[in-house]
Amino acid sequence: MAATTQTTFASANNFEQCLKCSICTVYCPVAAVTTAYPGPKQAGPDGERYRLKDPKFYDEALKLCLNCKRCEVACPSEVRIGDIIQRARMQHPQRPKLRDVLLANTDVMGTMATSMAPVVNLTLGMKPVKAVMNATLGIDKHRTFPAYASQKFETWYRRHAAQTQESFSKHVSYFHGCYVNYNYPQLGKDLVTVMNALGYGVHLLEKEKCCGVALMANGMHEQAKRQGETNMQSMRKSINELKRPIITTSSTCTFTMRDEYDHVLGIDNRDVRDHLSLAARFIYQLIDNGEVKLAFDPNFKMRVAYHTACHMQRMGWAIFSTQLLRMIPGLELIELESQCCGIAGTYGFKKENYENSQAIGAGLFQAIKEADPQYVATDCETCKWQIEMSTGVPVLNPISILAQALDVEKTKQLNQN
Amino acid sequence: MKFDTIIIGGGLSGLTCGIALSQKGQRVAIVAGGQNSLHFNAGSMELLGNVDGEEIAHPVEAAQRLQPNHPYRKVGIDHLEELAQEAKTLLDKAGLTMSGNAKENHWRITPIGVTKPAWLTLEGLATVASSQLPWKAVTLVELEGFIDSPLQFVETNLAAQGVQVKVARIAPAVLTQARRSASEMRATSLAKILRNHQALASLAAEINQVTTADELVLMPMFLGLDDDALAALQAQVKPRLAFLPTLPPMVPGVRIATALQHYFKMLGGTYLLGDKVVDGLIEDNTMRHITTAKLQDVLLKADNFVLATGSFMSGGVVADFTRIYEPVFGLDVEAPANRADWTLAEVMDDQPYMSCGVATDDTLHALKEGKAVKNLFAIGSVLSGHNAAVQGDGEGVDMLTALAVAHRITNRQ
Repeated sequence: MAATTQTTFASANNFEQCLKCSICTVYCPVAAVTTAYPGPKQAGPDGERYRLKDPKFYDEALKLCLNCKRCEVACPSEVRIGDIIQRARMQHPQRPKLRDVLLANTDVMGTMATSMAPVVNLTLGMKPVKAVMNATLGIDKHRTFPAYASQKFETWYRRHAAQTQESFSKHVSYFHGCYVNYNYPQLGKDLVTVMNALGYGVHLLEKEKCCGVALMANGMHEQAKRQGETNMQSMRKSINELKRPIITTSSTCTFTMRDEYDHVLGIDNRDVRDHLSLAARFIYQLIDNGEVKLAFDPNFKMRVAYHTACHMQRMGWAIFSTQLLRMIPGLELIELESQCCGIAGTYGFKKENYENSQAIGAGLFQAIKEADPQYVATDCETCKWQIEMSTGVPVLNPISILAQALDVEKTKQLNQN
Repeated sequence: MKFDTIIIGGGLSGLTCGIALSQKGQRVAIVAGGQNSLHFNAGSMELLGNVDGEEIAHPVEAAQRLQPNHPYRKVGIDHLEELAQEAKTLLDKAGLTMSGNAKENHWRITPIGVTKPAWLTLEGLATVASSQLPWKAVTLVELEGFIDSPLQFVETNLAAQGVQVKVARIAPAVLTQARRSASEMRATSLAKILRNHQALASLAAEINQVTTADELVLMPMFLGLDDDALAALQAQVKPRLAFLPTLPPMVPGVRIATALQHYFKMLGGTYLLGDKVVDGLIEDNTMRHITTAKLQDVLLKADNFVLATGSFMSGGVVADFTRIYEPVFGLDVEAPANRADWTLAEVMDDQPYMSCGVATDDTLHALKEGKAVKNLFAIGSVLSGHNAAVQGDGEGVDMLTALAVAHRITNRQ
């Protein structure tokens, strides 16, 4: 008998707490559409028992996991099934294909592309180019690359916003992410508009790197870890020296930096985690605590269907976005049943995943068509691409909707102090 | 963040209470730490199946003989029938057609083929009028490679009651090739494949090949997760079909869980899935707010709170080496002080720990340090005073205490 009795669980990602109840399998969107994926229980805790004995039990089918974490949301025993699968993939790396390196290096691709945006956008949209990418790189020909902006958000910020930010009495740092920087600077501009109206100056981090989610999904964990450490260092400076909390507008970047840095990459982020929040949550809390007030444009009217992105579901934060949207008097909100759209970042761009990706999203696309909204709102940029491509309905981040609905001048007056 | 009522626990009891309150126009939030134990429900609800070791045919009548601390005493034995009818109506409104009533039990067939008294059973599942099976002969459909149904047990148990059992093996290509991993050839996975009309038609064709019109065919329920596949299959086969529940996760249970969650959200309810209540502030015998793991420093406030966290299995009560306790708020628990008194030697005996749970006053207010918390109720399996496994009253306690508390909350307004 052991000298002491173990009374707490000690295994990584709550592996030992799996009861083998199989509830996770019921909620796996991948297992529901393909026979090639063994499902989260088998790929996660069951397979892990074998892998711990001998790494040769590693199953290549694990790459079919799209890391939606819906298994973890369903699990009654708090087993981090998705994290177990991600870690297994990390421990059995494969040399990434050229395509995966290109898809994963959002920073490099973005910097190159934004400098030549009109040419790149035109080229990537051409049928022959798509056919070549399909054949040589394995990027599915049905996909349209999100258009690159001709001016990076950071460039816009430095030219048009940076000078005025110090004049505010309260401040936040903004982790804008690759998507805002290279593809859709408007969301970043909207964020600056909203936060300024609430009396907050918005600042860039000293150094921002891609959060690394695409690198992790494509087997480049070492690079992801280096980028993660850089981000944590910049955020520590923002929190400790500048006393600025960090806000974001991407649910996946937020989830990756708050949870996967620790659970998957082993980055110690404990001192940063609670100071890093999604803008929707940050703003909701300010309102809930009576610290800021909003004034809305009385003529604003919009019919919106809210889609809960997978990582938003995992964080449990969809309530902040929907509560915020409900505050807008002219907005009619339909809450869609929470289900995966199928894109999962770079997953759906790969030729071998295209069919599964669309089959997974079919239920959501149908629900959107039935709801027939003017816009879909969601906190995830890759869901935006997938939903716009698959339904034709335009998609907006809740912060952009807020920026449109606010009476900015009146809100500014309400929050002057 | 403020609601009228916040329910902690998203299982049968929490959902029933949430739906009843939402129907009355309340703003309700449910905090659910993962999916619920309805996933292990075989498609039947039990009101009262056993009193003092005797199988019960008339539950309302037999409830008069229940022990004084049974939760039914706190909803009122005189109200059982009315509340049971209300529960059935609620299920019906959620889209769940169930047969049965509170005055008279029927008998359901368990996944291993024995009979147990039940109050309500989901349409399509096999039921009989008494514990004695009325069948002379049945045909059991065995699906090749299916891992969720111990059909040999079923065969043995039916034969023990004098039923002649014929086993008809089928191997429709659409299902047997469906899973490259044999470990995933389970009921809920097959039910997703059988949403497809062509797949269902090929299953029907296989059944027609091995059966005739005059047989009663029993088959495991591996279809009908969220669609009308049971009726559609019946329309395409010659014999009459009756379905048996499988091993968990069970299709009928998942169907019930899904329907209730949808209905609650449709009524405007907020279902916080995958979150966990970690703390709460009780002052002056009143619950002020609670906090959750995911919402962190955002306090959840409400006029009333309902604890529906389930029993040991769901973590509503916890046993360690020295004590049995309620882990969220440290509420009073009714449990034998001496650990040796928690258990009896024979596993199938009426184990005392099974009756342990949160202590409440006569109106189901939870107690802390002997005092009732004015706006905190406890419902369902977290309650002390009964053993669902022995007494066959689990779903009845879940739903009826939920409805009784919902009435108390809305009458108070």
